[in-house]
Amino acid sequence: MNRHFQIEIKTGSRTLAAIDDYPIAGGAITFIFGESGIGKSLLAKAVYGLLDPAALSVEINGASYQKYLKSRLLKNMKKEGFFVFQEPSSHLNPLLKLGEQLSEGSLKDAGDGQGILRHLFDTKDDTYLQSLLDIYPLPYRPSGGEKQRLLLTMAFKRLNEYLKSDIPADNSLFVFDEPSGSLDDQTRNRFIRLLINIFYRKPFTCLFITHDYSIIGEIFRHYRELLPFIRFKELVRSEAGLLMRDFAPTDYLDWLKNTRAVKDKPTQLKGQKNQNLITIRNPFRVYDHDFYFHKPDKPDEPKPFRLNRGEMVYLKAPSGLGKTTLAKIIMGLQRAQKLDMILLGKKINENTPPAFWRREIWGKKAGMVFQHADEALNLQATVGSVFDGLPLKRKLNTKDKIDLLNTLFRGEVSANFLGKRIGLLSGGQKQRLNLLPTLALDTDLIVLDEPLNGLDFASIKKIIAIIRSKQSEGKGLLLISHNEEIFDSLVSREHIYRLNVYDATS
Amino acid sequence: MKTKFKQIFEKLYAQKDKLWLVIWLGGLLLVWGWNLLFLNRPALQRIETGFINSFMIALLVLVFSLALSWITVNSLLLPHRWLRTLFVFLLNILRSIPQIVGILFGYVGITLLLQQGKLQSTFTVLVLMAIVVSLFVFQELVDLMRERVRHFHKSDFYQAMLVRGIAESRIINYDILWMNSRVHIFNKLIAIFGVAIFLQCSVDFIISIGLSTTLSSIDLPVTLGTLLANIDSKQDILAIGNSLMHPSYISKIFFEHLQGVTVAFLIVFSLLSIYKIANGFTERFKL
Repeated sequence: MNRHFQIEIKTGSRTLAAIDDYPIAGGAITFIFGESGIGKSLLAKAVYGLLDPAALSVEINGASYQKYLKSRLLKNMKKEGFFVFQEPSSHLNPLLKLGEQLSEGSLKDAGDGQGILRHLFDTKDDTYLQSLLDIYPLPYRPSGGEKQRLLLTMAFKRLNEYLKSDIPADNSLFVFDEPSGSLDDQTRNRFIRLLINIFYRKPFTCLFITHDYSIIGEIFRHYRELLPFIRFKELVRSEAGLLMRDFAPTDYLDWLKNTRAVKDKPTQLKGQKNQNLITIRNPFRVYDHDFYFHKPDKPDEPKPFRLNRGEMVYLKAPSGLGKTTLAKIIMGLQRAQKLDMILLGKKINENTPPAFWRREIWGKKAGMVFQHADEALNLQATVGSVFDGLPLKRKLNTKDKIDLLNTLFRGEVSANFLGKRIGLLSGGQKQRLNLLPTLALDTDLIVLDEPLNGLDFASIKKIIAIIRSKQSEGKGLLLISHNEEIFDSLVSREHIYRLNVYDATS
Repeated sequence: MKTKFKQIFEKLYAQKDKLWLVIWLGGLLLVWGWNLLFLNRPALQRIETGFINSFMIALLVLVFSLALSWITVNSLLLPHRWLRTLFVFLLNILRSIPQIVGILFGYVGITLLLQQGKLQSTFTVLVLMAIVVSLFVFQELVDLMRERVRHFHKSDFYQAMLVRGIAESRIINYDILWMNSRVHIFNKLIAIFGVAIFLQCSVDFIISIGLSTTLSSIDLPVTLGTLLANIDSKQDILAIGNSLMHPSYISKIFFEHLQGVTVAFLIVFSLLSIYKIANGFTERFKL
């Protein structure tokens, strides 16, 4: 049975999210895609009864939120349900050990979850797991990925209880809000396998909110027979407000198939000398650790990192290993303890003064896009002002700025959009804006750190098209992204590197 | 109409800085009206001049402090390290001098210039007095600005702008100080305004007290501090003490001792109001 919700969420006179039809398919897994900040989490929280009626004005199906919170429908959904929060830290109690939180409240009689933990952490080492369960959550420990897996363990414990119950699938509601945001692809796939195994045993109602379109590939590769029970939806803005529309997974899969690596160098570069933009010899040292590069399938064979003009190089590494740190070292924002690098023809080592980058590199020969748009943009500034001060040949006028914005904001750039405060944009809009100033520069080298973060499919396609056009112009691009499926397809194998750290004992 | 008035009052009550600004200005207007009715013209004129001079100096202190702080913060961008170190060293020397002592010595300098006949216009003297006060208060603003720059220096947004080739001076001046710190700076300026009035009144009082009216302080423009130190005002203040023992005398204070009481009230009430305005502003903008 499908349920339909009409939802309106306001703060004061400002509407935060309003949708005429928010459908939830009973006994099915609904994947909800959509750009960051559009309202996916807020709407899901409203349906799950998690919003504060004192702080927000919420109406569901025309009735007050207080009435909805007392409704039998919500009580039933929550009785056998769970909500995995996007930011794991906000879900964990800092004053309670992780192990205690795994058995808190309604999870008390749901087993110890050891099997789930072993599966999600891909380990049989119970001592390691116990050491993790014995700590209090802190901002830096456990890591984001560990916290996320612990939250998923709680959800799976709840699902195990649901399996034992006689509650019909329609009455359950399990919400996973960006459950794989901090997980690498392998761990994400283990999580999906477990989720779907349980679904095979007894279907349940599940909302799976994500930006990770590569989940579609995983589903189509391994769980195709489950497709009748899976919905793919996309939350988009329309003139009438928010709209939850069907997302055709084949659109993504076909696009991916056609997004093949460009093996040939741009014609204008053929035969040219000095094509090398970056060469880094192994190892480089930072934070007292020695790092090295290797090809993904040959971890025992360190290989110098090279990026030439007209090439796209994809750098992989587990979350938190130091990809962004490396990008900052290349851009002279962070000093390495040991470094042997040739950057745009200049020999660089750990003693090269920062003035070198200021004088010769920044904005002139290289530019970098930072991964978190929220932190990389001046939120108090206006949209139009992000292009001010760039070292361009001529100052951009309003028309130039609108033209630039239209490359990624088509249909959204109205007259007053340029004057809008960046802090008021959605996460996806901020990310698109974050990319534009660097892409507007005519630099030989472009470093892109997680350029697809929080974007919807339409924006992803546009960004990839821009990246490819930059490559064909002869620019060198260094790509850092957890979105392996897209970049594995986009970048030829010989240009994929993996960053690794030497074991301290070796 | 009644509802609108109520709405305005509720808004004012919720925004304490605006409420206290209204109270302050209202209080000043009330006192001026009262003096207009009951104080003799020459005395009223002296109070008006003293008030205007004091607040003119305090306003000029804001302008000079802002300019000095801006120059100081931008000196951090000087290309040579030794230049930056020298600048910071000089600032630290200035910082080590107690404010009152520094201002007193500054006034000595102004008096010397006056004696030599090098300063002819009153406005020039006011400007010089403001510069002297600014030299010993502007570092509070510098500390705030440097703290803000330091805070953003570590952030991604600073680095992201740098690698786009945006000039550091633009990032500091426009993106950090203007876009992200102007509320903080304004709040500090309110506090400096209060400090300037307090220091000025204190120093003017110190240099004027006990001196014959034919000496020294007559060369400097009249301010609230010099008026308070004036013999007549002191007697008026003593009258307040007298009224504590003889309550029937209270009624006379507001008619017969108006000059001293007005000057004392203007100083205390203004300082209290500015303090409240600064606090309200901090609260409103959650600084």
